[in-house]
Amino acid sequence: MSPTEKRTTHFGYQEVPVDEKASRVADVFHSVAARYDVMNDLMSMGIHRLWKRLTIERSGVRPGHQVLDIAGGTGDLTLKFSRMVGPRGKVVLADINASMLRVGRDKLMDNGVGGNVEYVQANAECLPFPDNSFDCITIAFGLRNVTEKDAALRSMTRVLKPGGRLLVLEFSKPNNPLLSRAYDEYSFRLLPKMGQFVAGDEESYRYLAESIRMHPDQETLKGMMEAAGLERVEYTNLTGGIVALHRGIKL
Amino acid sequence: MLVTPALLLAGCERTLNALLARDPAAPARLDALAGSRLLIRFEQPHLQLLLHFHRGGIDLLRAEAFDEADADAVVELTPETLSEWISGATVERLMFEGKLSVRGRTYLLESTRELLTDLDIDWEGELARWLGATPAHSLAEGLRRAASWGLRAKNELMADVSEYVFEEARLLPGPQQRRVLRDHLTELEVATDRLEARLKRLHRRLTQHTSETQDTSEAQAKRLSDDSGETPT
Repeated sequence: MSPTEKRTTHFGYQEVPVDEKASRVADVFHSVAARYDVMNDLMSMGIHRLWKRLTIERSGVRPGHQVLDIAGGTGDLTLKFSRMVGPRGKVVLADINASMLRVGRDKLMDNGVGGNVEYVQANAECLPFPDNSFDCITIAFGLRNVTEKDAALRSMTRVLKPGGRLLVLEFSKPNNPLLSRAYDEYSFRLLPKMGQFVAGDEESYRYLAESIRMHPDQETLKGMMEAAGLERVEYTNLTGGIVALHRGIKL
Repeated sequence: MLVTPALLLAGCERTLNALLARDPAAPARLDALAGSRLLIRFEQPHLQLLLHFHRGGIDLLRAEAFDEADADAVVELTPETLSEWISGATVERLMFEGKLSVRGRTYLLESTRELLTDLDIDWEGELARWLGATPAHSLAEGLRRAASWGLRAKNELMADVSEYVFEEARLLPGPQQRRVLRDHLTELEVATDRLEARLKRLHRRLTQHTSETQDTSEAQAKRLSDDSGETPT
């Protein structure tokens, strides 16, 4: 057995070979792409829109900026960014999953977004962009699905312009034990049932809950961002730490 | 909690954009403003808002991560100044009075006020989108007639009640009776003042007269005692 074959990573609570994780995650998102927005609204009771809104407020994006929205999925952030950067700027919606990218592109076109948005199917670990290309990079609810998170953070730092910001919006660890308990009950009991009922896919939503628990907590992710070369890294807990917004600057 | 102000702001933004979408004049005004950014700094409560105009409406963002260079115009004001400005006070007057500080492209302020205060919402058009043109027109006509009837009925009811209360049942004094009463009371007040003044005058005269009488008596008594003192010599 070669060393590569021996290496494993987590896929929810399962240990899977490193090479398999991307395709398994892709299967999950192929399965949920069509109902992704509905499920997001249902699962978070609409609060995911506020979390994304805070991300936009913290982005500091202005007209003429180049923005990369990684794992942009159905384009919630891209829609707002495209207005903010105006005709002189550019937003790149990148996702590793073709189904999600297609849903996002259709949604943005239905909303009249066109001229300043590009769509790229790309792996966050090896972004196909030159160094120092973007003023702002966001990755919302995508980092936990990436196999090599450190490589992805390094890749993002590489394509970020000096002075540019990386914003990572991701599920994290609640800081209140009571909330944590309620959150566990909700995500392991109710969430898969909702997934079954609405999207007809219980397993994918079980994976969602498990992958959230396996994701690094606030301080660990902060350390990872610093290790990737970002400075002034700070994070804000949202909704009691269920979600955290990390921000780092490339100097 | 960070989410609460974001929720309020999101609600405001959604409402504002929904209203703008129903104003036939808004698209042209928004086209002219599209891409502009107005940074508003409230002194009390301390709050910074960035208004980003686009063809579909306005994005309301808390401006923590934005600075003055990101905005085309920066306004510093208090809630009182904001209400004066929305009520129609000119930017020049407010600036002259020192209530408003504006930097950058000041015309953005006038255009923003025009956009927000001259809203003329086409409710019938919105109904037509949901129900179709003919039912929407019939419904709108019905509502207009109902509103007009309601207004007329309210005015007539007020007139009838007023007539009954003031004229027929005489439960309350009418405006004419109140005026007459006020005139009488004014006359009474004047007469009372006059009487009071007379009484004061009489009192003063009486006091004066009493003191003069006393002085005369004392002088006479002294003279008498002086006269009786000269006799032994």
